[in-house]
Amino acid sequence: MTAELPPGLALQKVDERIMTLNVGPQHPGSGHMRIIVQIDGDYIVACDPDPGYVHRGEEKMAEYRNYITNIPHLERPVIHDSCNILYPYVLGVEELLGIEVPERAKYIRVIASELNRCIYTMYWLAIYGIFLGHSTMFMWPAGDRELLIDLMEKMSGARVTHAHFVPGGVRNDLPPNFEDVCLRQVNYFEKRIKEYAAIFYDNPILIARTEKTGILSRQDAIRLGTTGSVLRASGVDYDLRKKEPYDVYDELDFQTNVLKEGDSYARSKVPWLDMMESCRIIRHALEKMPKSGSVRVKLKPNPKGGDDSVYKRVESGRGSLGCYIVSDKKPEPYRVKLSVGSFRNLIALPYLLKGEKLGNMPSVYWSLNYWPVEADR
Amino acid sequence: MGTATGIIKALNSGIKHIAIKRFTLRYPEEKLKFVGDGYQFDPSTGVGIAGLKGRHMLFHDHCTGCQLCSIACEGVAEAIAMVKVPDQQTQNKKSIMPQIDYGKCVFCGLCVDACPFYALYMTNDYELSSFSKEGLIYTPAQLAVKPYVTQDSEIKITDRGATHG
Repeated sequence: MTAELPPGLALQKVDERIMTLNVGPQHPGSGHMRIIVQIDGDYIVACDPDPGYVHRGEEKMAEYRNYITNIPHLERPVIHDSCNILYPYVLGVEELLGIEVPERAKYIRVIASELNRCIYTMYWLAIYGIFLGHSTMFMWPAGDRELLIDLMEKMSGARVTHAHFVPGGVRNDLPPNFEDVCLRQVNYFEKRIKEYAAIFYDNPILIARTEKTGILSRQDAIRLGTTGSVLRASGVDYDLRKKEPYDVYDELDFQTNVLKEGDSYARSKVPWLDMMESCRIIRHALEKMPKSGSVRVKLKPNPKGGDDSVYKRVESGRGSLGCYIVSDKKPEPYRVKLSVGSFRNLIALPYLLKGEKLGNMPSVYWSLNYWPVEADR
Repeated sequence: MGTATGIIKALNSGIKHIAIKRFTLRYPEEKLKFVGDGYQFDPSTGVGIAGLKGRHMLFHDHCTGCQLCSIACEGVAEAIAMVKVPDQQTQNKKSIMPQIDYGKCVFCGLCVDACPFYALYMTNDYELSSFSKEGLIYTPAQLAVKPYVTQDSEIKITDRGATHG
């Protein structure tokens, strides 16, 4: 009976007090991932996040397609943020192929990328609202998102999965009269998100539920390698749009939002503040954008890279999003590696949930700005 | 700010919206208006023309049967197959034209970018549902028909909020 079991099958000692709870992978509150929680009464003793249920093999697929046909499938992991997930790939391929992008295309990219950041954050905020039982906060962001989706649809022709960025610029020029429509809708959008303060961010019930839960200290945030809004909510002023400006971000006027608390409330507030910054960036970019000019460099069919590798990263809705491309003189890349913010932020989850009440788990989990499909690639 | 004041403020913020008109649109009766006649591509400049990426439209008098659209789709969705067509066109010696399976198409529009003869465009038609898988496969003859669309609803922003007018 006491034969040695292989390491993976080792039996755990049963404790009468400790109960193991599987949250997910089909639970509507977890997304396509499982959180194995061990609870003692109402308190979480240990937590083990278990991602990997929606692994799609994006990186392997990229090795069999050329630089252009990689675009539609590489944006699938985050369909709400599809411009930002393509951004590092496109920047990398441009450096590999030695393409200089027209000025107007750079501005269009920045506008598209900021619109997408807001679209993603609104969807994330809607789910955060419904996680906390605040159904109005689900309806409002889901409805106001429509303003920006409409703009992206006018710009690129698709509501989600735009396939708009290509190496050498963007697929098509802006439609006529787009600047005025964009300015009007973005201004109204900003007015709307400011109204969320009264119903959500200044709501005493929300503050009571999220303040001082899942505190991530400044040192831990740096040590665990978190990025994006999680890092900025812990008091680290780190935004790749400022630190390593790509395209025309160095010419635009904006600031980063940093909060010191590091709790779920701060982590949920930073993306909301970022959306207002995004509105400012869009307005400034529309003002500075050249009014006419080329938006795409004509490429040869099946362009080939040299014997080279390149790493580019951008600030996405969930943090730093990097793309490493290795080329070996073929039309297909030798290797494409995506380094995503979601997966980095998930690392903090076991540390944050230890000692928390089970009821605080959804708010802490979703405040990490985690997107299951992106983490699994 | 006290707890009671905060709750009253939150409730007040919601109650104000009772008087505001509905933002969402009633879909089958109202349909969104799009820019232009759908996504098009100009091979001479290499830049597309903005528009909705909906169902394709094939111009039989331009298509040469060069298979470039089918090759472009190979790495994406494999939705385009080249089939024999009965009509004889002078520029199309092999008499083959694309047939698109909308059960597979992802509407990325890379086939439109690949066409050098102005033969393949996209239209504003997005209502393609069918009761069978065969109904989703559009033959070259079906693709040649210009879709009839009635879309006129736009986002209108007033002082009292936004609506789909």
